Amino acid sequence: MLAMKEKRPVSSAVIKQGREVKESRDFILDNELDNPQSFELEDTAPDLIASSQLQQNELFLPIENPEAPDDQAQLEFGGLEKPIFAMSVEGIQQALQFHYADNLLESLEAQGVQVPYQCRDGYCGGCRTDLLEGEVAYLQEPMAWINKGEILPCCCVPKTPLKLKIKG
Amino acid sequence: MAYQTFNRKKFDALKQPMFFGENVNVSRYDVQKHAAFENLIEKQLSFFWRPEEVDVSKDRADWQGLSESEKHIFISNLKYQTLLDSMAARSVNAVFLPLVSLPELETWVETWAFSETIHSRSYTHILRNLFTNPGEVFDDIMVNPAILKRAESIAHYFDEVILTSQLLYSQGEGTYEVEGRSIEVSQRKLKERTYLAVCSVNALEAIRFYVSFACSFAFAERGLLEGNAKIIKMIARDEALHLTGTQHILNLWRSGADDPEMAEISLQMHDQGKQIFLDVVEQEKEWADYLFKDGSMIGMNKEIICQYIEYIANQRLSAIGFEPAYDVMRNPLPWMNGWLVSDNVQVAPQESEITSYLVGAIDSEVSHEDFSDIEL
Repeated sequence: MLAMKEKRPVSSAVIKQGREVKESRDFILDNELDNPQSFELEDTAPDLIASSQLQQNELFLPIENPEAPDDQAQLEFGGLEKPIFAMSVEGIQQALQFHYADNLLESLEAQGVQVPYQCRDGYCGGCRTDLLEGEVAYLQEPMAWINKGEILPCCCVPKTPLKLKIKG
Repeated sequence: MAYQTFNRKKFDALKQPMFFGENVNVSRYDVQKHAAFENLIEKQLSFFWRPEEVDVSKDRADWQGLSESEKHIFISNLKYQTLLDSMAARSVNAVFLPLVSLPELETWVETWAFSETIHSRSYTHILRNLFTNPGEVFDDIMVNPAILKRAESIAHYFDEVILTSQLLYSQGEGTYEVEGRSIEVSQRKLKERTYLAVCSVNALEAIRFYVSFACSFAFAERGLLEGNAKIIKMIARDEALHLTGTQHILNLWRSGADDPEMAEISLQMHDQGKQIFLDVVEQEKEWADYLFKDGSMIGMNKEIICQYIEYIANQRLSAIGFEPAYDVMRNPLPWMNGWLVSDNVQVAPQESEITSYLVGAIDSEVSHEDFSDIEL
């Protein structure tokens, strides 16, 4: 599960690369010997992007160091329960929780909450939902436009307990 | 200044607005002002399909078993979609390409238009299979008043932008007599007309096709004309992506994240932009009226389809910051969603399509386990 590994907001692949490279110095050293110039380019790229100040969504991806693979890549802690987050949806009395689901949309549907949807792949925006409280992490970059305070449940999971308001 | 296919000026491509800035010179995608368009291009490319991949041969037998009123519904929809997609492909190229000033948006417009041409080709594929002489069907499109009326209402907004930009870039600002009417031309007027054209194409992608989609899927729910429904499903998937593209353009303008003057125009022309959307909803309801004039089909009638149009219209109005205009709270055709889910799209039953799959991709992820059977 991507969501529980070390996360860091990135706004584009270039930034991600730049940071990743800074993180794993060993990796750099190996490569610098082969191709010293390539990393000067990498270092300037993030500034160039930051100056345009257009970051619509934060994408949380795990940062993997090829030299030190994560032993707990799968979120299976022996004998321990998976994290459960309480959720509430405006207008619905029933107590809800996020527990064992690939994404928030599936979790809500499994508990009988109807959310409008279309593509279930982050590009149509059909499931746009208001996030009143809490935080979510995206497992894949949402392609549809999202206004401030909105989330796409089809491609995110909770990071904290959530309070939602379904549109329509 | 006239449009240049090669703009010799040096400028910062990241500082250009989406439209009306410097003409694009180098199509570079290493850095982007609006990365969303690059993502859309990649998604659209991963959706690539060809009409010939879908076997429609069984549809001919189904077609012959339809009642006359059902035949009218099916064939009218195909005619309407054929004309709309021909126009969509042409208009986005002709209207937006000369005005666009970001490489990623320029390429998105081209990719978008190309996928519309695939749609046009697929209608010919379907019709060729159903009719010995499909020519008669195509010939009827240009003389069918119900279809022409809808097409003209879209074309108007596109043609205004094209005429204004041609006059502005060749003659400069002023008032001109063109074909017996006087037209005011200025940079501001061009921006206003472009805003309306984007509103119009947004409504086209959001609403116009969905009555026809719903009918095709309703046939397939009964096990009829399933080859056609498979093609329509792929078209619907593409159209949803195109809609995301126009929503991004409108929302970027509205939020002021792009051209400040366009933010002003979005506010000033809010009512006109919304009216375009509402007009399209009304025209689609009229279209439903025309479709069901000789009788309805099982599982679908005029009232249900009109409610469905209002339901999706509400969603799509709020997606671009307009207030929802209709009372429908629930999806009256819940089974439609099953046809619009991206993952279910299959060409042939035995080969499901995975959209994240890339041809020729190499998995570069290496874990410790991969070396477990290697000894030194």
